[in-house]
Amino acid sequence: MTPIVRIEHVEKTYELDDNVKFTALNNVSLTLHKGEFSALIGPSGSGKSTLMHIIGLLDKPTTGKIFINEKDTAHLSDNEISTLRNEYVGFVFQQFNLINKLTVVENIILPTVYARKKLAYDPIKKAHEIMEQFGILEKARSYPNRISGGQQQRVAIARSLIMEPSLILADEPTGNLDTKTGNDIIQLLKKLNEKEKITVLIVTHEHDVAEKTRRKIHIVDGEIVSS
Amino acid sequence: MTKTMEYIIFTLKSALFDFSRNKGRTFLTSLGILIGVLAVVLLTAAGLGLRKYIQQQFELLGSNLVTVLPGNLDEGLSSGGPAFGRINFSEEDFQKLKRVRIIKNVVPLYSRSFTVSGGNDSKYSELYASTADIFVTFNQKAEYGKLFTNRDVEKRSKIVVIGPELGKKLFGSAKKALGQSVKIEKQSFKVIGITKSKGGGLTSQDLDNAVYMPYKTAYVFNTEKTIMAFYIQARTEAEIPEMKRQAEKIMLENFDDDEFSIVEQKDLLSTINSIFSIVNTVLVAIAAISLLVGGIGIMNIMYVTVTERIKEIGIRRALGARKFDILSQFLVESIILSLFGGLAGLLLAYIIVFFVQPLFPAYIDTFSVVLALGVSSGIGIIFGVFPAKKAADLSPIDAIRYE
Ligand SMILES: Nc1ncnc2c1ncn2[C@@H]1O[C@H](COP(=O)(O)OP(=O)(O)OP(=O)(O)O)[C@@H](O)[C@H]1O
Ligand SMILES: [Mg+2]
Repeated sequence: MTPIVRIEHVEKTYELDDNVKFTALNNVSLTLHKGEFSALIGPSGSGKSTLMHIIGLLDKPTTGKIFINEKDTAHLSDNEISTLRNEYVGFVFQQFNLINKLTVVENIILPTVYARKKLAYDPIKKAHEIMEQFGILEKARSYPNRISGGQQQRVAIARSLIMEPSLILADEPTGNLDTKTGNDIIQLLKKLNEKEKITVLIVTHEHDVAEKTRRKIHIVDGEIVSS
Repeated sequence: MTKTMEYIIFTLKSALFDFSRNKGRTFLTSLGILIGVLAVVLLTAAGLGLRKYIQQQFELLGSNLVTVLPGNLDEGLSSGGPAFGRINFSEEDFQKLKRVRIIKNVVPLYSRSFTVSGGNDSKYSELYASTADIFVTFNQKAEYGKLFTNRDVEKRSKIVVIGPELGKKLFGSAKKALGQSVKIEKQSFKVIGITKSKGGGLTSQDLDNAVYMPYKTAYVFNTEKTIMAFYIQARTEAEIPEMKRQAEKIMLENFDDDEFSIVEQKDLLSTINSIFSIVNTVLVAIAAISLLVGGIGIMNIMYVTVTERIKEIGIRRALGARKFDILSQFLVESIILSLFGGLAGLLLAYIIVFFVQPLFPAYIDTFSVVLALGVSSGIGIIFGVFPAKKAADLSPIDAIRYE
């Protein structure tokens, strides 16, 4: 099994007040392998989102190392990290983080605007294919704040797919949804994993959701207890 | 379409889109820049116009002309205005000056404002009482009828020559005024001539509204027979210094040397120019302050604009935008906003100057345009891009969480 992301002895501390420090992640080491479909599970406040942001290169650890494809990211320039975020990782945020002044389709193609490599496909066409597949095609020209939470969730996933990343990190992708819609979303991610061989990591605190994955990584109080 | 082109179009489109979604903010930012540009351009235009106006006023008078005025002009300037009216000249001074060979021409002047009525109307006008030579000095010709002569002066004929605008106001047209009579302080005077219009400008409008009268006729208003000033003319420019010296000698027979002044047009012009360079400095200072105030306004709005979009910057960074991508987006937006406000301000300034010009020779010079546009858009761009740079330097997740 080939590692895609490997983190070593990662620690994340937040400076709360003048001298009070809070350790959100404590000596976390973890490897995700190509083609894996796993869940990161733990109670609220255990550090799931924090860990996910570090894996996705959105945040820097206080100490520790992150390897992408066995390459240490510590030596990469900001531009190189931006390119990795753009091409390598598809991120689905807990709070969607769509841009409300852009339409659904503009949100979905936004990552392609920042692509430095030549894309082998037409972004608009691909966006329409994904929207059709996700059942949100008729919302293409709507604004994110005028569609339902489930639809926003799908837009967020569609945006994470547009660059055809090798890794999808989905933070509570079912958190805002009813059970049926939640299941649909998980099935959708599972299909992506099986058909497109995309590595998927789902963050959740629901055991039902975690049951549907093949690997469960448990985190409690900023420490990995089993994986 | 190349990738770069697509990127530029996308940036422009999202900038324009952002403006249409934030009309109030766009309006306010542009308004700040607009006011800054408008203030600077208009104030400098006014300053330049003022100087030109004064030059025009002097150009209306004939050449090689020297003015004899009551009061000490040098002392007057340093103590808040010439001491006019302390003394008056008399017929005796006039006759003495006339006898000086080197003086080609002496024009006495008595002037006062009156309500002039005639036809069915009346108008507040300036009366110039003098000899026939005043028409030479003021460069005036008759459009209709004739000008009065020195015989009319001696006969104290109850006649006047009026400006075309005054004729039009009183009798409907300049031509119709000829042969009519006008009333000044219950006295009737026959209009024997109407001067040619000087057209355009405030000064010439004054002359177009003036009443010219033989100065001895005007004794009915000027019971003390005073003369307020003399215009003396030399034959050549070279004779001006000698003429001034001789005129001064004559005047000293009756007056102390600090009771009158003999000034050349160019002295007056330079004195007045020096006053207006102070006025100009004040105007520029006011313009600079309004530019500063406008700039602070732009700064604030830009700062708020970027701050409320830090989350958006974070999202874009998370999706792979480089710092440079963020900066260029905000740069484009700032440039569009600044240009929009700046050009609107400039347009408004041009419109205002266009409408003011018939009355006042204000004009816009390139330097003030460049300065105003440069400073206001510079501020707009710096304060649009600087906070964006700070936001782009945050980690994406910190930017997204920013409130
Ligand atoms: N910017 C921050 N400053 C200070 N503390 C933070 C910050 N971000 C997160 N934390 C703290 O770090 C801990 C982990 O937060 P994190 O968001 O990773 O939790 P989580 O496991 O995702 O929880 P949830 O399931 O509720 O989303 C929490 O106790 C949180 O309060
Ligand atoms: Mg979380």
